[in-house]
Amino acid sequence: MTSVIEVASLRKAFKGRDGTSRAVLTDLELTVGAGEFLCILGPSGCGKSTLLNVLAGLDKVYEGQVSVSGGRVGYLFQEPRLLPWLTADENLDFVLDSCRVPTSRWSELKSRYLAMTGLSDYRDYYPHQISGGMAQRLALVRALCVEPGILLMDEPFSGLDEITARRIRSDLLAIWRQTRKTIVFVTHSAYEASFLADRILVMSGGAFRQQMLVPIARPRNYDDLAIFEFSREVIKALGDEIGGGPVPAVLPVTEPILIDDLDRHVAARMNI
Amino acid sequence: MLKLLSLVTAVIFWGILSLTLPPEIFPGPLETARALWGEIAGGQVVTDLAMTMLRVIAGLLLALMLGVPVGVVMGLNRRAEAFLDVWVMIGLTVPSLCYAIMAFIWFGLNEGAAIIAIAVTAAPSITINIWEGVKNIDTRLVAMAHVFEASRATIVRRVLLPQIFPYVMASARFGLGIIWKITVLVELIGRPNGVGFKLFYWYQLADMRQVLAWTLLFTIIMILIELLILKPIERRLFAWRPKVAV
Repeated sequence: MTSVIEVASLRKAFKGRDGTSRAVLTDLELTVGAGEFLCILGPSGCGKSTLLNVLAGLDKVYEGQVSVSGGRVGYLFQEPRLLPWLTADENLDFVLDSCRVPTSRWSELKSRYLAMTGLSDYRDYYPHQISGGMAQRLALVRALCVEPGILLMDEPFSGLDEITARRIRSDLLAIWRQTRKTIVFVTHSAYEASFLADRILVMSGGAFRQQMLVPIARPRNYDDLAIFEFSREVIKALGDEIGGGPVPAVLPVTEPILIDDLDRHVAARMNI
Repeated sequence: MLKLLSLVTAVIFWGILSLTLPPEIFPGPLETARALWGEIAGGQVVTDLAMTMLRVIAGLLLALMLGVPVGVVMGLNRRAEAFLDVWVMIGLTVPSLCYAIMAFIWFGLNEGAAIIAIAVTAAPSITINIWEGVKNIDTRLVAMAHVFEASRATIVRRVLLPQIFPYVMASARFGLGIIWKITVLVELIGRPNGVGFKLFYWYQLADMRQVLAWTLLFTIIMILIELLILKPIERRLFAWRPKVAV
């Protein structure tokens, strides 16, 4: 497998107001292979968003080597960050234009990804006219339609309600299976990471503490007990690293409610 | 429809109120309209109105030229904000009459002095509006544009300006409201024509019919500008905004 992201002894510190500096990233080493789905898991303030900003080129002040190859970078933020004065369609045009994608390809790209996310009927809506879940889907379409080789995602579903979030996670996996982008996904949810990733890197205090390969076959079902079991192991690893207390005993699992076979279109209309 | 009703009610209210005093002191709407019609037919109205409008427009443009850059700088730079903060406060506090007196004494009784006095009075309010607007710029959208490889020019044109523009529009409207009133005052003390001059002239002759006729004329023009020019521009520019249901 060829690697598209190579990070060697990456260090970064923020200067405090009193002149003392606080290390945010300490000697990070990271290799991400082409087509891999990597999750970086850690508590708030562990440096995972900072790392993502460095990879995206938003943050250029650091020490060490960072090389990102394999095409353009697409980015999905925690919030949709759509331009509110543009319609859904115009928001997509904005990034297609700024990324200098040839005009002749715009309509094909937009149609394809809008269809994948069930947003084809919402092209002429302004961001304030659609729900938060739909806005985040649109942001996903925006990231995909500039045809990135690498997709960086910074806790993109943590601001959504659980039902909407699990729906989009399943969509994301389906899209990933079709397009095989390299994805670096930052999250603080062990369950989300276990459901999505090939590989999980547990991060705390600005360094990777542990690497875990997810042994669950694809396609995955969000309600698979194996994901639940594995996420417990991940939480345990996370707890060991950040010095949390013992993980409570397994609770009896109630019959999960399946919504995955809900018609996508109905779901879109129901704003989920 | 409701607006029309409200207007009719206001006129009726004026009519009833005017009955409490003799017509020479408080003329009703009919008499005032007749006096106004007389002035318009006399042909003098156009010159005075045009002069006032010219001063208003020139004053507004100069006020925007002074106020917008200062507001932008204050919004972007913390040091500039700390330094200029006091200036803006002083500028806001000094009464418009003082600016007018200073301008006429220092620069002479001419058109330039009048326009400077008008602009300097209105500029601090415009600055405050723009300052707030620039501080409210969503930098997260700028970061988004960076990630999607937008050039600096594209970011300014398509991400920053659309965010600042509503505030420029609001300050122009708001500035216009202030400037109308200052212009009349400036004309009263230092110009040989214009609506303010006419008002003062008829006041000295104690002709309340004419005073109210000129006030009415002024008000009608202002409402027309608001309804026929500013409102439609704003509606077109900000069609994307959510409508607030009250």
